[in-house]
Amino acid sequence: MKTPALKVDDLSVWFEKSGVRVPVVDHISFTINAGDATGLVGESGCGKTMTAMAILGLLPASGFGVSCAGIEINGRDISRLNASRRRAILGRDIAIIFQQPATALDPVFTIGQQVGAVYRRHFGGGKKQVRQTMLETLESVGFKQADDIAAAYPHQLSGGMRQLAMIAMATVCKPAIIIADEPTTALDGSTRTLILHQLKHLQALHRAAVLFISHDLGVVRQICRNVMVMYCGRIMESTDCESLFSHARHPYSAGLLSCIPRISAGRPEPVSAIPGQVPSAGDLPAGCHFAPRCTRAEARCHDSVPEPDDQTGGGAACFRPL
Amino acid sequence: MTMPGHIGNAPLLEVRNLSLTFHKGKQPAVDRVSFSIKAGSTVGLVGASGAGKSSVARAILQLVKPDSGEILFKGKNIGLMDPRALKTARQSIQMVFQDPSVSLSPKRTVEQTLMEPLQHFEIGDAESRPEKALQILRTVGLDQSAMHRYPHQFSSGQQQRIAIARALVTDPELLIADEAVASLDVSIQAQILLLIQKLQTELGITFLFISHDLAVIRQIASEVAVLYRGQLLEQSPADRFFSQPAHPYSKTLLSFAKGETPPGWTGDKWHLHRGQRPVDEPSACVFAAFCPDKLPKCESTEPAMFSIESGNQHVTGPQCVKCHLYDEVNSHDH
Repeated sequence: MKTPALKVDDLSVWFEKSGVRVPVVDHISFTINAGDATGLVGESGCGKTMTAMAILGLLPASGFGVSCAGIEINGRDISRLNASRRRAILGRDIAIIFQQPATALDPVFTIGQQVGAVYRRHFGGGKKQVRQTMLETLESVGFKQADDIAAAYPHQLSGGMRQLAMIAMATVCKPAIIIADEPTTALDGSTRTLILHQLKHLQALHRAAVLFISHDLGVVRQICRNVMVMYCGRIMESTDCESLFSHARHPYSAGLLSCIPRISAGRPEPVSAIPGQVPSAGDLPAGCHFAPRCTRAEARCHDSVPEPDDQTGGGAACFRPL
Repeated sequence: MTMPGHIGNAPLLEVRNLSLTFHKGKQPAVDRVSFSIKAGSTVGLVGASGAGKSSVARAILQLVKPDSGEILFKGKNIGLMDPRALKTARQSIQMVFQDPSVSLSPKRTVEQTLMEPLQHFEIGDAESRPEKALQILRTVGLDQSAMHRYPHQFSSGQQQRIAIARALVTDPELLIADEAVASLDVSIQAQILLLIQKLQTELGITFLFISHDLAVIRQIASEVAVLYRGQLLEQSPADRFFSQPAHPYSKTLLSFAKGETPPGWTGDKWHLHRGQRPVDEPSACVFAAFCPDKLPKCESTEPAMFSIESGNQHVTGPQCVKCHLYDEVNSHDH
């Protein structure tokens, strides 16, 4: 079997509140192959971004606890590297695109300086060569006037263009893994579609493995082959996108899908809502965390935690899947 | 268009030739926009960010003074109202904003937030007001226990329910919702959309619903109005808009919303699209530079608003479009 580009094994993240461990990511495992995109979807606070930060090792040392059996990039475990070794990997082997380019980009440096700095940090090289690579990268993300963009400061660009600049920063070293954390959430329809196209194009070009974090299942369907549905720190269902959309097996996945309004020429199917609310991290129900909101829940759902029903670790973590 | 002054058919709100410029000499944020909202209907105002959607909403409430144009509420010009009449009109036109964590005062309990409009508009008395507040709170799906809590003690979905309750407490006839579900998670968005549908059917409230999300608009709007660079390019009944959009820009918007890139759209076209107005010719159609169906005259003459009349569309209103393609059609007809 080929080595996956990214392998996350039994990752947990928690913080402590008045001496009690509050789990935010609860024993999750998954793999992504080179050239594949996997979506991680769920509602605010379900642990999506925490998963990303833990993989990257960007969680603050004080306040958070992280445990895992391993985080492997192309077979190499990065979870036990010290800070400086880890820094050598960030941006080169694994990069992240943040949700808010307006805050992720530095306002006092030009786009060219910021994209170039990432490359120089990892590969060095003369001024000319760095500039050459930087301009090529800006062109590859879709900027035709790369010179002008390189000379611009972040505030001179629109939101969509800033996000493209952010993508250029993430891809300048051609990393094996790209984590995209809600990269299109703040953008409107046309910009979103174009950013997604660009991301898809780059992913195919570099054969990168993409972990695409979003609360929007529609967006995930456009860009990802596989999808993981997360709820209260656990993965509820892990499958390929088409199966999820045609036949969601976990009641939570099905509920999420029915919440999405769709565009139809005729009268639209009305949305339906999932009853109740997401419990807070400090107050999670025992058993399956979704059980109190689940219409199919039975006694055992409230006591014990269901395991994923697929041999390979995928499928639905549910006692009574649809 | 509905004939103004025709009783029974008169729109609840009519916007005529509204223009608004924030920076003198620059492109106006709102450029001669006209549309009407019939009582009981929901008009979805759509467009990309920066198209002028929120500016239209603010001008309707006179939160910003428009340069020119008229806003008629039940036939009366809001711009010419004296302060007292304006206050009465505002009681009937309420607004729900995008982000409840900003639009609700963090220092006030839900009760204080809901009581303030009642006191301001002198609705009821000290005894009846708490009852009214509670009744509205129940309408939006919260209960008594919420009364004495502060906004930060609620989830974002509950906060938006409170913001909606605050708008409803004066018994408005028109609710302007400015991206009211944009910042919410899909599951919470679904709950709020269901609440809005309930307000439409049970209370008969008229909505001007601003959103960049066409799927959301499809759920709740009976008509769709499309803004682009400050100009209204199309107003159509929703069923018509989503089956046969008329304006080339509407078609573009719709394909983007479905996750398709319309034919002929490339990255650099889009970069231009995001920047300054690309055609210097002030009399050109605003969409000319990007229009896949452009005619020579589109770059020199501004099209007028045409009404496409066909079939039984008059039941919900005609389809109006500001595009030369349709003056071609019309001239062939004659």
